[in-house]
Order: sequence, then structure tokens, then C-alpha cells
Amino acid sequence: MTDETKAQLEEAIVNLIREFVNRKRFKPGDVVKEMEVKFSASDVTKDDVKSAIRELTDSGRLIYGYAGGSFLSLPE
Amino acid sequence: MGKKYETPLLDELKKGKWPSFVAEMERAAETSEMTGDLLGQVEQSYKEKMGHWKHGGMVGVKGYGSGIVGRFSDLPEKYPGVKEFHTVRINQPSGFFYKSDSLRKIVDIGEKHASSLFNFHGSTGDIQILGVKTSELETIFQQLVSFGFDLGGSGSALRTPSCCVGMARCEFANYDAMHICYNITQAFQDEMHRPIFNYKFKFKFSGCGNDCTASIARADMSIIGTWKDNIRIDQGMVKEYAKKMNLHKYVTSKCPTKCMNYSDTGLEIDDSNCSKCMHCINVMPKALRPGIKGGATILLGSKAPMVSGPRLSMVLVPFYDVAEDAKNGYQWFKDFVGKIWEFWDEYGVNRERIGELIQRVGIGNFLEAIGLEPLPEMVSSPRGNPFVLYEDYVEADEGQGESPQG
Amino acid sequence: MPDVSGTKRITDVGPHDYHDFLHPVIKNNYGKWKYHEILSTAHMVHVSETGDKIYSVRVGSPRLVSGSFIKDLCDLADKYSEGYLRFTTRNNVEFLLDKEDNIEPLMNDIKKLNLPLGGIGNVVANIVHTQGWIHCHTAASDASGVTKSLMDDLYEYYIDAKLPAKVRIAFACCLNMCGAVHCSDIAVLGIHRRPPKLLSDKIINLCEIPSTIASCPTNAIRPDTYNGKPSVKLIEEACVFCGNCFTVCPGMPISDPLNDGVSIWVGGKVSNARTKPSFSKLAVSYLENDPPRWPKVVEAVKTILDAYKNGAEKGERVGEWIERIGWPKFFKITGFKFTKYHIDDFRLGEATMNYSAQVRQ
Repeated sequence: MTDETKAQLEEAIVNLIREFVNRKRFKPGDVVKEMEVKFSASDVTKDDVKSAIRELTDSGRLIYGYAGGSFLSLPE
Repeated sequence: MGKKYETPLLDELKKGKWPSFVAEMERAAETSEMTGDLLGQVEQSYKEKMGHWKHGGMVGVKGYGSGIVGRFSDLPEKYPGVKEFHTVRINQPSGFFYKSDSLRKIVDIGEKHASSLFNFHGSTGDIQILGVKTSELETIFQQLVSFGFDLGGSGSALRTPSCCVGMARCEFANYDAMHICYNITQAFQDEMHRPIFNYKFKFKFSGCGNDCTASIARADMSIIGTWKDNIRIDQGMVKEYAKKMNLHKYVTSKCPTKCMNYSDTGLEIDDSNCSKCMHCINVMPKALRPGIKGGATILLGSKAPMVSGPRLSMVLVPFYDVAEDAKNGYQWFKDFVGKIWEFWDEYGVNRERIGELIQRVGIGNFLEAIGLEPLPEMVSSPRGNPFVLYEDYVEADEGQGESPQG
Repeated sequence: MPDVSGTKRITDVGPHDYHDFLHPVIKNNYGKWKYHEILSTAHMVHVSETGDKIYSVRVGSPRLVSGSFIKDLCDLADKYSEGYLRFTTRNNVEFLLDKEDNIEPLMNDIKKLNLPLGGIGNVVANIVHTQGWIHCHTAASDASGVTKSLMDDLYEYYIDAKLPAKVRIAFACCLNMCGAVHCSDIAVLGIHRRPPKLLSDKIINLCEIPSTIASCPTNAIRPDTYNGKPSVKLIEEACVFCGNCFTVCPGMPISDPLNDGVSIWVGGKVSNARTKPSFSKLAVSYLENDPPRWPKVVEAVKTILDAYKNGAEKGERVGEWIERIGWPKFFKITGFKFTKYHIDDFRLGEATMNYSAQVRQ
């Protein structure tokens, strides 16, 4: 995965969460599945999406929430 | 710090011989104002017969989605000390062994940065520091990490694995439960701290069929010790037991497979028919020991009632050679677990435990997907109804012997 | 954020390596233990193939403890067991001693702290329990209070071995069951009995509708609209009061002081000894919450324990005893009423009916 694809991937993940804010709670697993489809043309693997999520949560751009199950969310 | 509220109902629970949690809360309140407010709120719960806590929400340390259970009072104006009263789960050491110096460090953290209240331990196995404010979480986390402790699991993640006392202090241990538990926990830190599953997943490692971790009732994957060879018999000690009790009544007749007989010539066991239930060994620990070719049976799927009812774990792998796999860093086990998680990830839905998924898709399909052969050890009996999902048939013009059914 | 560790934020160190916490005698005899002997309900000795011995002294704890409590334990460990101690899966503390001479003075010091010595052998083991009103948002009853009330009354059965076999009691404050309540000799389970309230304003703003619908085991929650927004409705007749919807959706509170309480279950076990592990079965379908001491719950548990003590043969667990005498007799001697609630009508529940003419007349 190129650095450019990686940046696009991270951006797409954040946008997905933002787009559905207050409507759908995305489990990290859901995000992986969505991104696999969205980036199917650019060789993005499951592990790539997982590591992108890790970078986003480590940097604080996304946080984990919990409501009967864990999901990804924008920081308050 | 003095008593903040009158607590006549809770005071009743300071009476009696069993150590009192109310007395413990009062001791904690000596150093923590938060716990003073906790006493007030719990007294109100006792008066009104209902709890006063809200849902968890977004509480955690940076990067982790696990290990902190958020908790907020629904009476924050009345009891400001419990406005935020989160729990920090700390992954316990294998077998719950400690040395006092480490315990003191953990206690210091809870006294300086939280309510001075602890659970030793939570139901899953973690040490829990109760009553933590969001602003203290990072400090607590960093201090724990600095002396080699880390957070446990919560949410849709691998929950903190736990194990029995194992070979450290039990002659019944058929494999090194503490070692594999530690190894697996270290290997799956990511799955524990960054929730990516449909729901929780628990491992519990018990060294024998007595199952001191209750793994068969509450672990998605239960690893229970067993052995392949013969029960080791000290006939001299059997005779000693026979002097003190009726071996027929209390040992041989209780054997579920009736594989043993005691006579003048001593105790005879047909080990090929022994189901490793542990009864005879439990009753005569000085005379009998499990065999030396130890390992474990791997079972899958137990859980509490939510959502589709309680389940016990069922046999998947009758004998897992733990010691052999240990030589290879438990790689077979990790790969095996990986296949199960992959299936769960692919076909499971939100908040569906692995046992429920298997129930929904059918055990046969699950076995096929993870590459396990069906074995008679997996069932208590073959099916009794004829509604079989045969998967293929032959046409009149096709040759014989094409069908796997023959 | 403070950074006490230096320049880089450290994560994922995992649990502390247990080797650092093992008594030298345990380290030297790891995997070599030959047999154990129960010396009293409060202590036992494990003997190694090498001839080494380690003594374990067991003490009960209330699980919810102060820092001072743990420091007391540390002081005792420093004084008598070179700082080494462990906890059991049922919230007991075990001091690990290589010197037999230390046992008595340690026990004397434990008594001075008013802590119970016991829990080994044919006893009522320490009750495993959940958080209750102390710390949980779905609790239908308090955990620590019921546990304390029970253990005060059953104290003699913890410190003395007076029962036919081990009796494991567990308490869970709701159907989430944080702990193996469903496979205990006697289980006390917090229950709700009234359908959740529908706070529609909260539901439309705070809840994810599909997962709220999916949370219901009986499909009692159906899609609906409220003020033009997706919401849910509830088929009250189908509700089994599990509270799972509230876990997912804060807009469906189910706690109700008038109707919450506990049910009592019997005869389960996790051990494979003799008979297979089994679920606990319903004995008493409802007892009201009666804080601070829940006298009716204590009485019901004592009724079961007394009947078991009088009727079971040596070595029989509660479930094995009931299987032998039959459920009709169990209900007769305990005086508990058998009602339609005792007949399983959930999924696969039919499997619990009696498909035979084998009836004790």
C-alpha cells in the first residue's frame, strides 16, 4: 500500500464515521468490511485497514465508544 | 474524613461474622471523599431498591478501546464524588499469584488516584480499581505499565484470559495452564485492547476436569486438562484408603463409565473406558494420579443467557497435545483460534457470541469451515431424527460411486 | 496528559510475568506435585516428588475491599510467607508457606483481623458475585448485600466441613450473569418482571434502532416511528424481562423497584466429576428485594441447604442428590411451589419434559 493510498484510506474511514454520526455505530469490523469494498482496486488488505484504524485511534482522531458493544466514534 | 451521610440500612451490613463490604467502603472513605459519596448513593439505592448508575459511554485511555468500564452516577448533583466513577481493569498474573511489593504498588495507585476501593478480583479475573475519574485514567495507566502491569479486556474484544493454579500448586494439572494462558494473552494484546470482534470472546484454561475456572460454563473457548495414558495407581495407598472407607460405595460405583473394580488383588482400571472425570482421583489423591501423557480437551461456545439463552461448551478437539505445541510457541493453537475468529468475523453479526453463531449456521457447516473432521467424541449421541440435509444425489445417467455418501 | 514513563508512551506490555510472583518452593517444584492433603477447612499441604512441601492457608474475603485490606494481607504475607500470596477464583486469599511453624501464628493474626479461615473441602465455598447497586447500571438487586447476608448466616458452613460435598453458591444481579451463576449448586439471580419503559425521545436520539431490535431474544421489539424518526415499539406479552435492550439502548430502562427481585436456581455444576457439568434449575421463581438483609432469600437458601444436608449421601453434590430423589420430592421437602414458570417454554425448552413413564409415585 502506498503512502498516498494509506492517507486516502484513513481519510475515508474518518469520513465514513462522520457521515453516519448519530445514525449508525460502526464496529471496527464493519469499517474493515466497508473499506475492503471501497478500496478493492488498490490492494488494500484487512490488516491494512486494521493498522489504519490503529493509527487513527493512537493519534486520537478516532476514539472507541461502548453501548452494549464497542464502536468507533469521533472525539467529543 | 468523617461520615458524610447517615447510612442506617448499610450499617446493618456491618453486623455479622462475614467480613463486611460496608466496613471496607468506610475504610476506603477514610482516604477518599469519592467513596464517602458512594456510601450515600448506595444507601439511597437500598432505600429505593434500585441502582443509580448510567450507561458507560466514551471512556478509555488513548489508543485502547478496552480495559476501562465507564460509569456515571444519575444523581451527580447530590453525590458529586461519584459523578464519574469508572472501573480500571488490570490484567491479573496467571494463577492470581502475587508478591506483596507489587500489590502495594497497585494499592497505592488506587488510593492516590481513585476511590481506594478494589475488586480482588472481577468475575473474568481482572483486578479492578473502582471509582476512577476520566482525568486520572492516563496517569493510572502509565504507572501500571511502568511496573509491568497492563489493562484487561472489555467491550467487543478478547476478554482477559484466565487460568487455574495449574502446575504451580496442583498435582491434577495435565498441562501448564499458567504458561499457555500467559503466552496467549501476550500474543493477543491487540485483540484484547482494540475491540474488533462482534462481541466478547473468553478463554479459560483449567488443568483438569474439576474445572476450577468454570471454563465450561463461561468461556467461549474452554481448555480443560485430560490425559491419554493410564491413571497412575499406588496400590499400597489404595489399601490404606480402603481401611478408612468403602471403596465400592464411594469410588468404584460412582465411576460414570464403570471402568474400575476393587478386589483383594487391588484396584483395576480399564483406562480405555475412562472418561477422565477426576472423581476417583479427587477422592483418593494420595493413591491415584492422572497419567503422564497430559494434554487438554478444547471445547467451544459457552456463555451466559444473552441473547439466545445460556450454553455450555462442547467438544471440538478431544485431545490437544499442549506440551508438544508449547515447543512451537503454541502456533497450532493460535492458528486454530485464528480460523475460528475468521469464521466469526465473516458470518457473525453484532453482539453474537461464537456459540450462538454456530447454533444459527449449524455445527456441520462450522466444522467444515474451520477444517475439522466430525468425530463421535463431539456428540453425546448421533442424531435421533431423520431430517438430514443430504448435500447431493446422483441422476440415473450418472455413474455410481461419485457421491461421497457412496 | 502526564507522561510518567519518559519520552514514549508505552502500551501493550501485557500481564506481569507470573514467574516473578512464585514462591521459591513453588518454582522448584513446578509440575512435580505428587499429592495434597486437606489438614483443615482452612489449610492444606501439597507434597512434591522431591519431598518439598508447601502449605496453603485460606481466608475468605468480601471481594469488594479497601486498599487497607490488601495492605493488611501484604503485612501478613511479609511476616509469614516471604511476601507470597495468591487469590482463588472464588475470592479467597491463600498464603503460601514453606514453614509449618508459621501456620498457627499466621492463623492467630488472621483471627485478630476478624477474617474467616475456611473454604476448603465439603464447605459452602465463598460466594462468587457481581457488582450490584455498588457499581452496575443493569442491576436488578444488590450483589454484595445479599452475599454478605447469606455468608453471615452460612458462616458455620464455611469454617467447618459439615456438608455431604462442596456447595458452590453464586449471585448475579441480572441476566447478563457476570460469573458462572447458571452452573452453581445454588444460584441467586437478580430479575426484572416488568417490561421496559419506552422513552421515545431518548430512543430516537441515543439508540441505534437495528441493534436495539436485534437485542431482543423473543422478537418483542419491533420497528416503529416517533415524530417522523425511526424508533421501536414493544410487544409486552412477549417480553422475558432480560434487560438486554437497555444494555444497548438507554431509552428503555427496565429497573422497577416494585417488581425487581431475585430468583433461586439449584443443582448446577461445572466439574466433570461423576456426572457431566449442568445448568442450575429454577427452584424459586421470585422473591422481592428486601434490603438490607434479604431475609426471604437467606431463608430459601437455608431451606435448600438443610434439605440437602439431611438428604444427600456423602459425596453427592446438590444436583446429584436431586436427580436421585427426583424433582417432585425436592419441591415437597423444601415446600417451594412448583408453578408454570418452572416449565421451560423458551427455545429447546421442550427437551426438559419427561418423555417416559418413569415417575416416582
